Amino acid sequence: MRFLPLIWVGIWRKPGRTVLIFLQVSVAFALFGVLQGLKSGVEQLAAEARADLLIVHTRNGFWSDSLALGMLEQIKSLPGVKVVDPVELFWGTYQKPTERVGIVAVRPDEDWTSAFTFTIAPEYLDAFAKTRTGALMTAELAAKYGWKIGDHIPLVTSLAQQNGSMDWAFDVVGTFTDSDVGAQGNRILVNFTYVNEARQTGNGTAQHFNVAVTNPKLAVTVADAIDRRFANSANETKTESLREMAQSNVQRIGDLDFLIRAIVGAVLVALLFATASMMIQSMRERTPELAVMKTVGFTDRGVFLLILAEALVVCIAAAVLGLALALLAFPFASKFVPRLSMPPIVVVVGLGAAVLVALISAAVPALLAARLKVASALANR
Amino acid sequence: MNFIRQFSGLLRVNLAGATQRLGSVLTIIIGVTCAVGVLVSMLAMEAGARREEMGGVRADRVILRSLGTRSIDGSVPREEATTILDLPGIKKGSNGEPIVVFQTMVPMEGRRRLTGIRIFFALAGVSQKVAEYAPELHLTAGRMFQRGLHELVASNPCVRQFEEFEIGARRSIRGVDWTIVGHFDQGESQQCVVYADVDTLMTTFNRNTYSQVCVMLQSPAAFDVLRNAVNANPTLHLEAVREREAVEDGFKQLNALFTFVGYFVGTIMAIGATLGAVNALYAIVDSRRRELATLRAIGFGPAAIMASVLCESMFLTVPGALLGGALAWIFFNGLAASPFGYSFQLAVTPSLAVTGIVWALAMGLLGGFLPALRAARVPVTTALRAT
Repeated sequence: MRFLPLIWVGIWRKPGRTVLIFLQVSVAFALFGVLQGLKSGVEQLAAEARADLLIVHTRNGFWSDSLALGMLEQIKSLPGVKVVDPVELFWGTYQKPTERVGIVAVRPDEDWTSAFTFTIAPEYLDAFAKTRTGALMTAELAAKYGWKIGDHIPLVTSLAQQNGSMDWAFDVVGTFTDSDVGAQGNRILVNFTYVNEARQTGNGTAQHFNVAVTNPKLAVTVADAIDRRFANSANETKTESLREMAQSNVQRIGDLDFLIRAIVGAVLVALLFATASMMIQSMRERTPELAVMKTVGFTDRGVFLLILAEALVVCIAAAVLGLALALLAFPFASKFVPRLSMPPIVVVVGLGAAVLVALISAAVPALLAARLKVASALANR
Repeated sequence: MNFIRQFSGLLRVNLAGATQRLGSVLTIIIGVTCAVGVLVSMLAMEAGARREEMGGVRADRVILRSLGTRSIDGSVPREEATTILDLPGIKKGSNGEPIVVFQTMVPMEGRRRLTGIRIFFALAGVSQKVAEYAPELHLTAGRMFQRGLHELVASNPCVRQFEEFEIGARRSIRGVDWTIVGHFDQGESQQCVVYADVDTLMTTFNRNTYSQVCVMLQSPAAFDVLRNAVNANPTLHLEAVREREAVEDGFKQLNALFTFVGYFVGTIMAIGATLGAVNALYAIVDSRRRELATLRAIGFGPAAIMASVLCESMFLTVPGALLGGALAWIFFNGLAASPFGYSFQLAVTPSLAVTGIVWALAMGLLGGFLPALRAARVPVTTALRAT
């Protein structure tokens, strides 16, 4: 502890240089924090998606095929299945072709919400179940278009009604929130039964089914059981959990891993070189001082540790500032990805990297200092 | 004249001494190398994506789409589409009919070979004139789809990247089996595109509007004639845009993201490298205090000294910039990437190399300013007296 003032003085021997090195390390770790934070944050977010909610769609994909409603009963009879609900997704536009609204048709059966990530107040739930043309909106849509409960909203959609018209109208009966990762705000929930009966074609089918299981641990088993049940039938299925779907979406961003690793690598290499060369420079200037210190009794090991300690203090303090900056900048990044947060592991890894940079860059000068021969160092001078 | 003579003499001395101050010089060079390398490789993503997007664009092709929409969510009623056939400026095909292609687009998904990762791609329903509209489309195997049949032709990148695109493979779309009957290359495009007969596809998906209508002009100059005719026709609720513009609209978000990320990361790296350069230059100036004071004493002006240090610092960044650009080219040029499912190859272009050099010079200029000021202000007497 008594060496602390000595370390402190050593650090501030050339304040300008220390401040510059400090800023350089901070900047590097701010970049590290943002990049690594985005990457791990997105991965963590996907890992947080519900693993116990299953989506059943056809083997050919989410959009291009549909499932017969008759399959619902067969899935419901499988052990471990709690609720199955049919879902149809389509798009509508409100007033202008550019104002897109996602339409999610669900069937308000008993306990249907347990198969979804939606949170709905009991009175809205009740009204939604009772109103054939009812719709639940997100708060975002309510704010954007000024929709209120009781409003009649006309939408132009991609789905034809019995009479060939593409126009649908729904009555707003309440609001809902969605806790799914990356949930989009511009969506309404409508009644599947109404949509299914009123549309021109595709009646009696659904794009996919949402399945809730009785026990989260059974999710994988149930998913396998569903796919086995329909294997080799005309309706082969593929059952995935929300988490699996989120993770495969993350993989779609793909290939950027290599780039991020290359950038972080370049940052650290540049940093290592800059700090090392500055440390050597500083060591050279301090040769007489170090020689004097050794003369008055500092051991080789003591001098070695002193130089390492100086580098460690500067690098860690700068890394803390840099990572703090990254944390501050993070809300801007999370505008693109809702609910994104920086995982603590990034901070830990960042601090670890800072220690590593300090040790590697100070190793050579510290070794030089430790090996300094007092007599020759003083004589050279 | 005196200033220039002093300046050039000083610069020669500065650069000749660079080898003696290897540590500081290398700090600058390596810092700049990393910053420029990262900047150039990040921007190479955007350049590569843009090259891929614009590779197949022709000046004589025009897209007609419903007002204010992008191609994938456009909606052009059949009656309006028929009217388009009679518009002026459209090139006539071999059989005397105008080269007009009706398109409808449906998102489809494929699975990557090996990884099984799900990727979305566009299934485009197109009408018969597509062969004349897109002469760069060459069948490499099999045959074209037939009108009225549930048949698909897939571009070769689909076959390479995804499962179940071999000729004869069947895909179920809306409960109907569709057979892959041909493979094609479309210019240099790396995208997975699948074509089917537009009417068959629309029947399958119960659509009665096209996504967009593509038209080939008699000549690029005929665009205005066509656009005026579209705008003048009260029954058409469409806008005519050149193919280039339509493609740009479609990729606006992706390109903006690449540009933002490139310059964001590049700027931060550049700040770091500049700080490093300042430190290194201070060290250089400090180690030359006596020399600089001597120069001042024998009559060199402070302005010439300052300019020479600034120039030296900019000079030292050039090898870094070249090295950074070269490393980016070695590691990333031609690297295949498919972020968000859009496949392209990173492209390190000469203009990016120039950008890298300009940034490096700017780093040198900014980083050299304060050290140059200190060099010019070295107090002659104290510096000479100092041991």
